[in-house]
Amino acid sequence: MSTGRRRSYVPTALRSPREELAEATAHGQVYMRRLQRAQFGLSMLALVAFGAVFGVLPMALYLIPHLNRILLFGIPLSLWILVVPMLPIFLAIGWLYARRADALDDSFRDLVDR
Amino acid sequence: MIALLAVGAVTLGTLGLGTWGVRFARTTSDLLVASRAVTPWWNAAAISGEYLSAASFIGIAGLEMQIGASALWQSLGFTAGYLALLLFVAAPLRRYGSYTIPDFAEARLHSPAIRLLAAAIVLVIGGFYLVPQLKGAGLALNVVIGAPYWVGVAVVAVIVAINVAIGGMRGITYVQAFQFWLKLFAIAVPICVLLIHFGGLPERSALFGEQYPHAGSSGILVKLSAPQRVEFPQAGSFTVAGGSVVHVSAGKSVTLPANVNVRIPAGGIVPVAQGTQALRGSRWSRPVGGTAEGAPLLVYSLLIATFLGTMGLPHVLVRFYTNPDGPAARRTTVRVLGLLSLFYLFPALYGAMGRALTPQLYTTGQTDDVVLTLPHAAWPGTAGTILTAITCAGAFAAFLSTSSGLLVSIAGTLSHDVWPKVRNSLPSGVAARRRHFRTAAAGGMVIPALIALVARQIDILILVGWAFAIAASTFCPLFLLGIWWTRLTARGAACGMVAGMLTATSAIFVGLALGEPTSGAFALLQQPAIVSVPIAFVTMVTVSLTDRHRIPDADAQMLALHAPEGLGLRLADKDAEGALA
Repeated sequence: MSTGRRRSYVPTALRSPREELAEATAHGQVYMRRLQRAQFGLSMLALVAFGAVFGVLPMALYLIPHLNRILLFGIPLSLWILVVPMLPIFLAIGWLYARRADALDDSFRDLVDR
Repeated sequence: MIALLAVGAVTLGTLGLGTWGVRFARTTSDLLVASRAVTPWWNAAAISGEYLSAASFIGIAGLEMQIGASALWQSLGFTAGYLALLLFVAAPLRRYGSYTIPDFAEARLHSPAIRLLAAAIVLVIGGFYLVPQLKGAGLALNVVIGAPYWVGVAVVAVIVAINVAIGGMRGITYVQAFQFWLKLFAIAVPICVLLIHFGGLPERSALFGEQYPHAGSSGILVKLSAPQRVEFPQAGSFTVAGGSVVHVSAGKSVTLPANVNVRIPAGGIVPVAQGTQALRGSRWSRPVGGTAEGAPLLVYSLLIATFLGTMGLPHVLVRFYTNPDGPAARRTTVRVLGLLSLFYLFPALYGAMGRALTPQLYTTGQTDDVVLTLPHAAWPGTAGTILTAITCAGAFAAFLSTSSGLLVSIAGTLSHDVWPKVRNSLPSGVAARRRHFRTAAAGGMVIPALIALVARQIDILILVGWAFAIAASTFCPLFLLGIWWTRLTARGAACGMVAGMLTATSAIFVGLALGEPTSGAFALLQQPAIVSVPIAFVTMVTVSLTDRHRIPDADAQMLALHAPEGLGLRLADKDAEGALA
């Protein structure tokens, strides 16, 4: 009788994504790569949203000096723009991102646990 | 006196909590990264507490007095850095499960050499960051009890070294969380009480209007500890020790004598110390383009350094391993964004009010003292004294917590990465490892403390800015490419980090040699991130692409970085299952 490790052969069609991943098959790599791409795409989307708001802000304030002459309660409008909405926007982007990223992880988990 | 008591209480509280924590510290893993059983809120408070340093607590307000609204970019950048960390690093790095940056570099790239390189960079960044904390401590103790500068440096250096050596990090997680709330209280309460006391921002015209800083309705008395060359931005006058009035015309400089009372009359223009600047009108209140420091190129360079540099700060990153899993790391980071957003509302108010209420700091040149001296100057008497005691205690909390975190990283790197290389063996046994960690904690403090003694003249925020620029030019590309790109090779990572490091540090030192130029492209020497970060990335990618020694198990590495927990796919999961079986 064989003294080597016993291997159970399961027809390809019946193998679950979990087995594909655990055995590092080509299919498993595709699943993994798809998750990684989705996560990266989500991060880049959040980065673009951040850049569209915050990245253009210095240039906007530089090119529109008029914002500095409009006073709101005696404080220049440019300072209001800089201090008040920016930090909540960071927080909102971060919160939405974290929710979506967890959801992507969960759908991957569903796929594998199916 | 009250201020001294408050500072003493903060210090004793920190030491006490550290000692209490030591009872839980049993193994090296405990000592280095607590025990990974800390909730997101505790963790977020601890990360924020560790992060809010002298630069945030006193540096931003001090810089704002000089360069005006462009200083606000600092607080925005310091916060935004956590967004970059959240988007690209937090969850994968936690899942990967390395303890420190050198651990990650070696495990990801299978190269002991790159571990040593990463360890060296950790020491450089930690050192650059530790110096301004000690400098802040020297300044603060000088304000509180008039002690010489070196006393404050020495006292905080010794306290922090002892605290880290006996407590490790388990203690420090709770100490740091406590310190965050203490710092938030200490920066928020005094300024809110003052705003209520004045019924809003006093002298708004002075804050944002067309005037240079000028003395209030009762004039100003200044007593200098050394003769000081000062310039009058507009025609003004002063009297020395009750003598006759000296008139000075606009733009002229005079030298004020030391150890006598110099009086600026009511409503008079305040003279400005050499090396300090006072601005007015839109030059002060424009966030971009008002000053040389606020030129768009420099603002962008600063934002790149802070946005990408935060993820490369060793003392911040090590804290993410105390999260139980990837989603918890994300939740923690979102909470950090919230806590920091709350904190950073306040320093800017001190800078703006300091311009109106403590204009004598322009004459002494010590604008970094504004947070510490504003309450008493604004509201003489017991109320002001108590508020000053609160801000001083908060400042001390800032120095203690950040330098503790930095020293844990430095000591961990010395005892874990550098020592075994030098001695060619790992110390065996828990007791021996703990002894090594303690020796390293004591030794790691010596050089930064010595540098702090000679670096008194360099602005706190400039020193901190260098640490961020170096982190953004070295560890940021290592993480971003190492986590998301399978083709990164050991040689590519090493070349990229060395290129970024050399570009950033040589720019900084050339800038120092040229006397910190502030105009045109030369100003980038002070804030080189916009050049050095792309150089590091491009080097890392091109060298990796031409390198034939690819990482053989890159796909398994990606699995370890990105696969969700609890699927039995990850090595750590299998270990857990094995332990349960």
